[in-house]
Amino acid sequence: MTTPTLTRTATPADTPTVTPRLTHARVLRSEWHKLWTVRSTWITVLSAVALVLGVGILMGATYTSDGGDSDVDTVILTLYGSQLGAIALAVLGILVTAGEYATGMIRATLTAVPSRLPVLGAKAAVYAGVVLALTFLTNLTTFLTAQLFLSDSDQAASLTDDGVLGALAGNAAGITLLGVIALGLGAGLRSVPGAIGAFVGGVMILPEVLGMLPYEVMETVVRYFPTQAAGALGSATPMPGAASPGTALLALLLWAATALAVPALLLKRRDV
Amino acid sequence: MIRAENLTKRYGDTTVVQDLSFTVHPGVVTGFLGPNGAGKSTTLRMILGLDAPTRGHATVDGRPYARHGAPLTRVGALLEARSVHPGRSAHHHLTALAHTHGIPPARVEKVLALTGLTHVARKRVKGFSLGMGQRLGIAAALLGDPATVVLDEPVNGLDPEGVLWIRTLLKSLAAEGRTVLVSSHLMSEMALTADHLVVIGKGRLLADTTVDELVRTSGGTSVKVVTPDADRLRTLLPGAGITVEAPDTLLVTGADAPEIGRTAAAHGLPLHELTPQAPSLEQAFMALTHDSVEYQGASA
Repeated sequence: MTTPTLTRTATPADTPTVTPRLTHARVLRSEWHKLWTVRSTWITVLSAVALVLGVGILMGATYTSDGGDSDVDTVILTLYGSQLGAIALAVLGILVTAGEYATGMIRATLTAVPSRLPVLGAKAAVYAGVVLALTFLTNLTTFLTAQLFLSDSDQAASLTDDGVLGALAGNAAGITLLGVIALGLGAGLRSVPGAIGAFVGGVMILPEVLGMLPYEVMETVVRYFPTQAAGALGSATPMPGAASPGTALLALLLWAATALAVPALLLKRRDV
Repeated sequence: MIRAENLTKRYGDTTVVQDLSFTVHPGVVTGFLGPNGAGKSTTLRMILGLDAPTRGHATVDGRPYARHGAPLTRVGALLEARSVHPGRSAHHHLTALAHTHGIPPARVEKVLALTGLTHVARKRVKGFSLGMGQRLGIAAALLGDPATVVLDEPVNGLDPEGVLWIRTLLKSLAAEGRTVLVSSHLMSEMALTADHLVVIGKGRLLADTTVDELVRTSGGTSVKVVTPDADRLRTLLPGAGITVEAPDTLLVTGADAPEIGRTAAAHGLPLHELTPQAPSLEQAFMALTHDSVEYQGASA
């Protein structure tokens, strides 16, 4: 075993070109590096892409005009797989935050960034950027591929048709913001199974249950719940009984902001 | 330099750390010693800002750790619990941490080499042995070339070669002028590495002293005397504390070997053995921590 030597005085070979210093941009870069250096990211991302693309192709290939789906919005029909893809990406969001508590990595992270809040901000920004770009590209590819099968049917459409591009982007924005809510739940609950449970129960199932209650006001309120709002964003044609895309986006943004603000407050206060 | 002032940590009714104040100076290895559950890890986490003190505060180089512009260059820490994603490679783990401060990739390679992990750097941490995990933790601690190094039980899980390596490393870090604080529940280990000791028990400060001083103050030295006339010798040493270990063996405190020897010679008593006994650090440590246990019991 060699005797360790660690000279305080830097030698020319390792004189840093930049002075080590903590900055927001660097925390962002660190989170980007972390995201792509674990397998779970690749698994969840590739499953999400495969689910959306696979279901989209299946819908296109098996579609028959006048088969009962004629009144379904073209983009919604093409992106049926989105709901499954959204779950995979929500799991990724939870792993990004709660996963660090499961492994203990959070202690290393918050020792490097003891001001803490930049970590949550960087995680949310990196996640949102990656998921938004990825789902939008997947949506485009899925739509165009499915249309290869649908060109002779009553669901034939093109990207330039009214509302199509907006719905493809809206769907991506909806999935991204749902994922940010999941990421926030992971940061607040600090447990992967706990956050997955809360997301499935509180975000996906609860609005369905509330919507079934025999109170008319519920029907209106539930429209602005995350999953319904995300659904309204992904339709090329106006959906009856749903919020307008603008209102839906605003509602989702508020949900996501709340889902980040609460764990941000907790992160500042709690022991690690 | 680390300064803890009146650090107190309570979880509900349980007080883990109680009014703890001490200073850790650069240039020497300071051992942070206490039995398991004494509050060592909690104290270190408070120094690093991971746990908020209920009362009091800790500073590194004059300000709280979190207030430094480049925290990793101030303090490098190895925490007791593993703080690594098992699915990430050692290289990626260190690179991710390095990115937060803009630490160059060459430094990552350097600490990997220093800790002997270069050949496994691309492997996932999942497959690491306990010792390799400790080495990775130490590599992370040294990443920012920090002025202060805090290591929580670094020899845990290391083989003898690794333990020796840690000792040499700690001493060379201190020799370079760094502040080195290393916790352990093993007195024998600290005796070989530390110059200064901060001893705690039940969250309270028991001693803030040098190794030599601790030995001297904890009961002082005693003298083992073996003589066939043990009973007579006892009556001739009225001021001394005497423990009868065997019919012919006494353990004498309060009188040193020359005095006992002179007394015995003056009265013609044969001595078979006359041995000054320095208490081991273990005994000194046990005495200190035993007291703290009794004190806690009495006050409860």
